[in-house]
Amino acid sequence: MANGQLIFVSGGVRSGKSAWAERRIQGSAGTRKVYLASGQAHDPEMVQRIHRHQEDRKEQDWITIEQPLHLEKALPFIEDGDAVLWDCATTWLANELYEGWEKGASCAGQPGCMEQKWANLKNTIHSLQCRTKLLVIVSNEVLDDFVRDDTYQRWLGRIHIWIAAQADEAYEMENGMAQKRK
Amino acid sequence: MRIVFGGAFNGKREYVKKRFAGQEVEWLESELPKGSVVFSTIVVTGIEHRIKTQLGNGISEFQIREEIQQMLAKYKDYKLIWVLTDMNRGIVPIDPLERELRDVLGRIYQFLFSEATEITRIWYGIPQNLKGGDGR
Repeated sequence: MANGQLIFVSGGVRSGKSAWAERRIQGSAGTRKVYLASGQAHDPEMVQRIHRHQEDRKEQDWITIEQPLHLEKALPFIEDGDAVLWDCATTWLANELYEGWEKGASCAGQPGCMEQKWANLKNTIHSLQCRTKLLVIVSNEVLDDFVRDDTYQRWLGRIHIWIAAQADEAYEMENGMAQKRK
Repeated sequence: MRIVFGGAFNGKREYVKKRFAGQEVEWLESELPKGSVVFSTIVVTGIEHRIKTQLGNGISEFQIREEIQQMLAKYKDYKLIWVLTDMNRGIVPIDPLERELRDVLGRIYQFLFSEATEITRIWYGIPQNLKGGDGR
């Protein structure tokens, strides 16, 4: 099967990027609508928020796969011809980079750890593209500020540049308006 | 004078390097050109670091701007490219020096934007033409 379409969309908080991405999936010719979620609930408000989103999507026949870490583990659940929305790269990176942090050994502090995860992610995105009709990757704009976390922000820039280069289309979301950059 | 502008780690330097590949360029990190420059193209990057140090040493915004204006006049016959990092879309910093830096940078960038004949914004490696130029 030929590679499906890849769309990259990034924007600020509450810029409407997720809703826009959902509409792109809904309007696609994908056989199933799959929501690949990287978010993790750390407090009751987050639990509620995630639950509410899940309920909303269930009504619209979405299939939700929660995969905060190791995105490749979601691959067996993806079928040929699916339309997949991955939300989002920023959360995924935070999860992966600080995995093991509570045990005092985060990935960020171990040489080669993030490089390995990054290689896995690139393979996973390629595998998803091979199978899906449409893959939409959502991310956030967090690099137009003072550098607060050099490792995180450097990786995020690298990941975004790569995804944007792979993408058939790339959009920057400004308050609900999708600006086409590619 | 040209400007390549965008957020941190968006591939601005890579873009400039690719565009001037094979050409001899005077590449300056966190400093302004001084004295005689051999090559006809000058790339000035990381002025935010230089300006932060200057402000920390008590040099005024007026003096910083004077210095830039004098430098523009002195090197007006060169092909000058500024690589400017957007740092002004975040939360108000707690550190007073960083707050001052944001204000000063914002005003200096506005001045440089008004002087530039060509401005390219880089968003994750993708160039977008904001002023003049051919949009490459």
